[in-house]
Amino acid sequence: MSENKILFNTGSLDELSEEIGKLTNNEESKLKLGPDNADSGLAKLVLTLVELIRKLIEKQAMRRVDGGSLTEDEIERLGETLMKLELKMEELKKHFNLNDRDLNINLGPLGDLM
Amino acid sequence: MEKIIYSILSVKRNPEKLNALLVGMKGISGSDLCAVSFDEITAVVSDINRTNLIADRSNAIEYAGVIENLAQQFTVLPMRYGSIMESTGSIIKMLERNYHEFQQNLQKVENKREFGLKIFCDSEKLQAELRAKSETHTTTPAKHAPEIKNSVYRDWVNKKLKEHRLEELLLTYVDSVIVKITGYLDRLNAVNKFKKMATATNIIDAVFLLDKERKDALIQAVEILQNQYPGLNFVLTGPWPPYNFVEINIK
Repeated sequence: MSENKILFNTGSLDELSEEIGKLTNNEESKLKLGPDNADSGLAKLVLTLVELIRKLIEKQAMRRVDGGSLTEDEIERLGETLMKLELKMEELKKHFNLNDRDLNINLGPLGDLM
Repeated sequence: MEKIIYSILSVKRNPEKLNALLVGMKGISGSDLCAVSFDEITAVVSDINRTNLIADRSNAIEYAGVIENLAQQFTVLPMRYGSIMESTGSIIKMLERNYHEFQQNLQKVENKREFGLKIFCDSEKLQAELRAKSETHTTTPAKHAPEIKNSVYRDWVNKKLKEHRLEELLLTYVDSVIVKITGYLDRLNAVNKFKKMATATNIIDAVFLLDKERKDALIQAVEILQNQYPGLNFVLTGPWPPYNFVEINIK
């Protein structure tokens, strides 16, 4: 972007540069599938989807807890289930040598998946 | 030879002006640009070898540069990078098939330019401020509130609930900033699109379409808004071709 395209800015442009950098160099968030890494590439794709669904479930659950529509026993069971799911995901990530950033696909102009 | 299309525009009033402009411009890899027309609608194209076209930074900048130069003198519909057709004949047929959609979109963006507004924050600082504000407003719990179990699972839920509430507070705050912005934009008759929480620090990513003569008024409005939110960093860019306001499914 040329300098004269910035019409107003009072702070530093570091954040903007960082964001442009992410868009132009998003190698990390690309899904690399090839004959040599079919296993890990597929694991990354599958775990990304599982993580997305897990986070959506967690969000919805917290909305219900916050809304006060659940009993204490239900909250307890919910906590146990979601906590175990979170731990299982951590295990799987470790097993496939993946971190949180690996499971966040960059969708270009739509931003990050999670 | 295959052709890459940069922009669609209407040159009914002065085709000579476009031809003169194209003579002084170059397309991707220094290729010559030319106009392909059907009735009043024109596509600006250049020769391209599909197999040699790499989607890299320098080609994308050259592509965007052509669109930018055209947009400075004409109302344009920017095409997506990599829009390639087999021949001049197939482009003419495409222009004919989509003639009315192109006309409608050109009318919609006539004499208008796109502007981008990104609002950044210090994520941790903003969260701390919102948390402090919400704690101040929290009322004391009711006397007959149900007894809360003390367990590792309940602690986990409490931790997640805290994060969820903070997220909700942040979204409410972002919504309030958007309401303020749209209040100013309505006065400029701008069409706008907002994206919330693009990243943890980029809390608002917006694009506006407005009359190009209103650029100074927009800058003024952003300046006022920046003064109202000293903790945020407003970055206004433009004018851009209307990348985010053209809606055509090319047949």
